Amino acid sequence: MTPVLIIPAFNEADRIATVLERVAAAGTGCQVVVVDDGSADDTAAIARRCGATVLHHPFHLGYGAALQTGYKYALENGADLVVQMDADGQHDPEAIRALMAAIHNDQFDLVVGSRFLEMTNYQMGLLRGLGRRLFSGLASLAGLQISDPTSGFQALNRRVLELYVGDFFPHDYPDVDVLVAAYRSGLRVGEIPVHMSEGTRASTLHGGFRSIYYVYKMTLSLWSAPTRVARSGAVSEDPTP
Amino acid sequence: MNPTTLDAAELREIFLAVAEPNAVRALALTVSLVLVAVVLWLVRRRGLREEYTPIWMGVAFALVVVSIRLDWLHVIARAIGAWTLSSVIFFLGEVFLVAVCLSYAVRLSQADVHIKNLAQEIALLRTRMDSLDDG
Repeated sequence: MTPVLIIPAFNEADRIATVLERVAAAGTGCQVVVVDDGSADDTAAIARRCGATVLHHPFHLGYGAALQTGYKYALENGADLVVQMDADGQHDPEAIRALMAAIHNDQFDLVVGSRFLEMTNYQMGLLRGLGRRLFSGLASLAGLQISDPTSGFQALNRRVLELYVGDFFPHDYPDVDVLVAAYRSGLRVGEIPVHMSEGTRASTLHGGFRSIYYVYKMTLSLWSAPTRVARSGAVSEDPTP
Repeated sequence: MNPTTLDAAELREIFLAVAEPNAVRALALTVSLVLVAVVLWLVRRRGLREEYTPIWMGVAFALVVVSIRLDWLHVIARAIGAWTLSSVIFFLGEVFLVAVCLSYAVRLSQADVHIKNLAQEIALLRTRMDSLDDG
């Protein structure tokens, strides 16, 4: 089965064509699926014109729900490998092959493209830098070593897909909480270095109230996600990877 | 006339011993009857589903009981250290409202998941229909 590249998009009409052209130029061999999360602009039409399969939410559900719609599509269509990237152009499609290779080689079940495994010129603000350290620290308490817990550039196999279509998966920001849930479910979670430019999704860690809410919500999710996964019956028999 | 000194406990007993006027009983009964009428009216108009009615019927019933047996409120007042029956009623009302809010937050969370799943299903079905039309 052809790998599926999921690109959640919300009001990205200005950028989605460029992103899809770059993906096509990278020659990944993936079926490109754009999940239009109830955009008010022409995101869906542009993506369709660029040759992508478009899943269109009737209204805005959130980044996590859009990703999950892509997972459900991939699962229904028998995909064994899924790559996810953002529609704002911050992820370099040239890195998709490396992410896929880490899954193909059966090195990991889920691999995260990290900005921080190697020295890069990626600039992260003070607040986001603190947030990254906080969540990396919390993840390590759960046993998962992760340098870039907010990276949405990931590849995953069918085992992870089967886990991620569960109702525990958050509607808004699936970040380190779902990585920890996957890890605690016995899946192998790893990282490879990637280069990224500044995007917009990471702006969840910008701004006063939203950043406070994000930290609060993510901490609560980190604590509750493994229990929720277990309650959904999606956890493996041995929770220790 | 010798001045009488009272400690706090005695003073509270005086507060609690003040007889509640019958007007209060009448008001409680009226409120409970109006509440039952509004609930039934909403059910008939399909503004309220039957499964959401027990809690409000329960409140109406509690109001009737309280208006008839004010002495039960005295027991609660002494147990929680309240000085007046009105503060007991306010306290119980607040506890009830917090419980109701929590209950609806739980229901809302469940409904949120269902709505998300339905919207995702619509997106998937629409794409499948489009591919069938194209094919």
